[in-house]
Amino acid sequence: MKRRSFIQSVPVVVGGMTVNAYAESPFLSAVQASLGDTDRVLVIVQLAGGNDGLNTVIPLDQYTALSKDTIRKGILVQEDKVLKLSGTNNKTGLNPGMTRFQQLWDEGMLNIIQGVGYPRFNYSHFRATDIWVTGSESNEFINSGWAGRYLAYEYPNYPVGFPNTTVPDPIAIRIGGSVGLGLQNQGVNMGISINNTKDLLNLTGTLFKDPAPANQIGKELLYIREVQRQTDKFGDAVEAAANKGKNLSTLYPKSSPAEPGAALGSALSIVAKLISGGSKTRIYWVSTGGFDTHANQVNASDHSTGTHTNLLKGVSDAIYAFMDDIKLLGLQDRVVGMTFSEFGRRIISNGSGGTDHGAAQPMFMFGTKIQPGMVGVNPTIDPASTANSNLPMQYDFRSVYASILKDWFCVEQPALDDITLKNFQQLPILKSSNCIPTSVHDEHTAAGLNIVYAYPNPFVDRTNIKFESFGGHTLIQIISNEGTIVKELINSELDKGSYTIPCDLEEYPSGIYYVRLQNGTLQQVKSMIKVRA
Amino acid sequence: MASLVPYKGPFGKAELIHLLRRTMFGVTKSDIKTLLGKSMDDVVRQLMVQPSQTTKPLKTYFTTTNGVKNDNLDPTIPMGSTWVDTPIAVGANPNPNGYRRISYKSWWTGLQITQTLSIFEKMVLFWHNHFATEDSVIDSSQMAYFTNIVLRKNALGNFRSLVKEITLDPGMLRYLNGERNKKSAPDENYGRELQELFCIGKRAGAAFTEDDVKAAAKVLTGWYVIYQQKDANNVTQNVNPRTEFAAANHDTSSKQFSSFYNNTVISRVPKTGEEKLMAEREIDDLISMLLGTKECAKFLCRRLWTFFVYYDITPDIETNVIEPLAEILRQNYDIKETLIALFTSDEFYKPINRGCMIKSPTDFHIGMLRQYGFPIPSNTEAEKMEIQYIFYAQMRNHILNQGFDLGDPPNVAGWPAYYQTPSFHEMWVDTSSYPLRKTSYESISRSEFSTGTNVFFDANKNIKIKTNFIDFVKAFDNPSDPNDLINEAVELLFGVPVTQQVKDQLKSTYLLLGQASDYYWTDAYQTYIANPSTSDPEAKRVPQMLIDLFIYMQGAAEFHLC
Repeated sequence: MKRRSFIQSVPVVVGGMTVNAYAESPFLSAVQASLGDTDRVLVIVQLAGGNDGLNTVIPLDQYTALSKDTIRKGILVQEDKVLKLSGTNNKTGLNPGMTRFQQLWDEGMLNIIQGVGYPRFNYSHFRATDIWVTGSESNEFINSGWAGRYLAYEYPNYPVGFPNTTVPDPIAIRIGGSVGLGLQNQGVNMGISINNTKDLLNLTGTLFKDPAPANQIGKELLYIREVQRQTDKFGDAVEAAANKGKNLSTLYPKSSPAEPGAALGSALSIVAKLISGGSKTRIYWVSTGGFDTHANQVNASDHSTGTHTNLLKGVSDAIYAFMDDIKLLGLQDRVVGMTFSEFGRRIISNGSGGTDHGAAQPMFMFGTKIQPGMVGVNPTIDPASTANSNLPMQYDFRSVYASILKDWFCVEQPALDDITLKNFQQLPILKSSNCIPTSVHDEHTAAGLNIVYAYPNPFVDRTNIKFESFGGHTLIQIISNEGTIVKELINSELDKGSYTIPCDLEEYPSGIYYVRLQNGTLQQVKSMIKVRA
Repeated sequence: MASLVPYKGPFGKAELIHLLRRTMFGVTKSDIKTLLGKSMDDVVRQLMVQPSQTTKPLKTYFTTTNGVKNDNLDPTIPMGSTWVDTPIAVGANPNPNGYRRISYKSWWTGLQITQTLSIFEKMVLFWHNHFATEDSVIDSSQMAYFTNIVLRKNALGNFRSLVKEITLDPGMLRYLNGERNKKSAPDENYGRELQELFCIGKRAGAAFTEDDVKAAAKVLTGWYVIYQQKDANNVTQNVNPRTEFAAANHDTSSKQFSSFYNNTVISRVPKTGEEKLMAEREIDDLISMLLGTKECAKFLCRRLWTFFVYYDITPDIETNVIEPLAEILRQNYDIKETLIALFTSDEFYKPINRGCMIKSPTDFHIGMLRQYGFPIPSNTEAEKMEIQYIFYAQMRNHILNQGFDLGDPPNVAGWPAYYQTPSFHEMWVDTSSYPLRKTSYESISRSEFSTGTNVFFDANKNIKIKTNFIDFVKAFDNPSDPNDLINEAVELLFGVPVTQQVKDQLKSTYLLLGQASDYYWTDAYQTYIANPSTSDPEAKRVPQMLIDLFIYMQGAAEFHLC
């Protein structure tokens, strides 16, 4: 597996010596890797509610149409208040609340991807969110998140045998709220959630270890026990990193009195603190809400102010402060971030001074390692747009995921397509790929206990399931990509030992399947691929 | 079509406890004593009785400046009286609205804690999650209260009436922009959620279209909320919020629906002077159309099953429970009859459906308070109500910390634990909420709660309460026998039985403190009960031993299931 080498502009301290000249050499990268703090981090910022993209990244060359009474005159930001983006011939600008994003743009740390969506839009908040976080087709129901699948590829044995010396930290952290579908793989949380404000408590062991029955009662019993166990073990690692880490930026939005973006800034400051404290967590997921602006999204008297502007100011200020912090902490080569919302909003505004659920939206990528600039073009607004008109899709959102996976996490084929579920176009949103071979992925793959897997894999019709039982009740199920249990191979008491059982999927279509093992409090899920002969 | 198989097995203590856990918040010894021995049908019917409810949210709020108390919030309302029928004065400074909202939530929390033997409070919560509105968004304490009253009035009544009343409820009209939905500029928000979240759902069988959303929005145009009016002197005054209709904003055209709704066309010829009535008829027609689909009753029954039984709607559950239950519901949309059928069904009492539910924060916390008999005073004098409201607010904060802000769900879909595949109820407990649960159960078990000194009436200062586990176990059948005590504690507190080995460990670790003989506990307990100020070194430890035992039991996964 490969990872990117290091850019020369940042001095690296090796053995007390500052080294600039060798910074691009694979040798130094290897040294750096062995220092153990070079792991790449992705920060996902979710804008819940459906962000009005047309008032976010504003197409100034479309004002003739946009300012019509019948389009969005009622909410359109005054042309002279729009923050014009340099290098776009004054054609594209940002919402007036986003002065900090304009700064990021000027500093080469912002990428804008225009018109991101997918075929056959869904306008339900909940269904659309599921589509975005799973990376499914619009008519497809999937039980795992795109990030969850990546983590399952990177750390196939998780959570059995975790934390361990190779991977002492949670592999993903959701700050505020529950872990969520995006970070799940076939029902297993691939991350932990931590509170936005409080430290974790140390939780102690328990004598309640009655065997869990092999039914839905046992499932929930095991689930709670696993949460208790993870809270306990990862709690120590998170606390240690938080105690060791620090924040250096003074730019985070203040929480008292509350400034826009205060909660998001607080979550992002925890991220910066954990990374600076040495946490090797790969993915952080934070969320901020309020984007469902059906009504009064701007102040009627001044469209450059109001609810939506404040929301965007919050996002822009919080992310800028975070990047400021990351740079002051010297971590800028390790961190990139992205924003997304479940959908954009309709082209024409409604009678409530707001906008209804729509389709394509702009996405932002931020960091020093992203490719600065814009991908895609301003949408063309039809002056005859109706209430049904939507912005057309320019890029599939899974192309963004695929590009991050390939150019940031250095995932190669065929694993890449397995994670994104099919082949998607790559976009130039990260600096040109520099992935070089290291053993980090192999170490992650080996970390933890490998207690179940299919061999051979991929396979044509038949394969074998090899597994370990620690004794007692053991359950082995084969699950389809949609989450249906297609086979139950074992559901009985077994003696401790290693086992191999045949698995025949001749009658099932080719594609990705999962084998799930449950044994006592342990649960492990591995993917297996059935291919055509 | 399969029919719903009624339960014919024995209706003993285990079945009664299962029924009570799912229909109420926790189960108490006294609940069991009252109902044990009655038939399942009698118990279920008794649980369907709506309690007569007389209380309203009260004013117990005031401000303090430099240590001086001011009765300047709603000054015309006496302390301990209700504010719900009094509009806030225009320009009131300070504005009491935020205080009223807290009062409203405290009142509701109090009704949950003091619930009578009825499913009623749980159904109110079910509907609050189903027709979710956020008080913080509506930002009107009166509207929030009135919405709640709509839920209460119809909680065990008729779904058709409930949908109609909630559609025209001022709080809902504001929350989902119905008040801005006009012929000239339709707002689809309510029209969409009425179908997607309230009546039809979004499973494969819910094939309504985007055009249906638009058509429904048109049907619903013209309704708005009056909350201010000019008085005789032409001065604008706040008034009690009410729904009104503006004929000019109503779209009188024919609304064409898709084949999913049998190509229904809704139109009512407007008659001069009867525009409002005709518009209301259109809403009736719309609701009839929604409720006329096969999917509507099935959708609601799936919601009930998920809320009350388990979230995994297998094909077997769909065929043998959801479909026949939906048939019953569809007859008249009678909620009570549907619930009776559910709670007397064979499927509900199946062993795999007992103990498979992860307690919601409300179930978890209110259940503990009820079970332990957490001693919030129940004095009803106006001046003493302040004490109750302070404690209700403290309890609500505990539940809020665990992820459940009563009155303020995360969004219009309600709490994700009731709809988000594939985790559902598992979302109540994760690595961030679990430590908060732990903090909460430990403080309820161990800490003293106090009204503090920031009270309006001096007599209410520093009133202290604390869980009393001696009183809790005294009500057990035979608390001086450590085996019986552990058995009964496990039966009451754990959703899933534990093995004798675990029980023995609990007994030996916490009641015998490592001693071998059961007499150790029996002697200590009996000595303590005979004289709580005993100087006997063993007996003196009894209260602390019980606190340790119950805190430890609360840390079992089994305690988090019901």
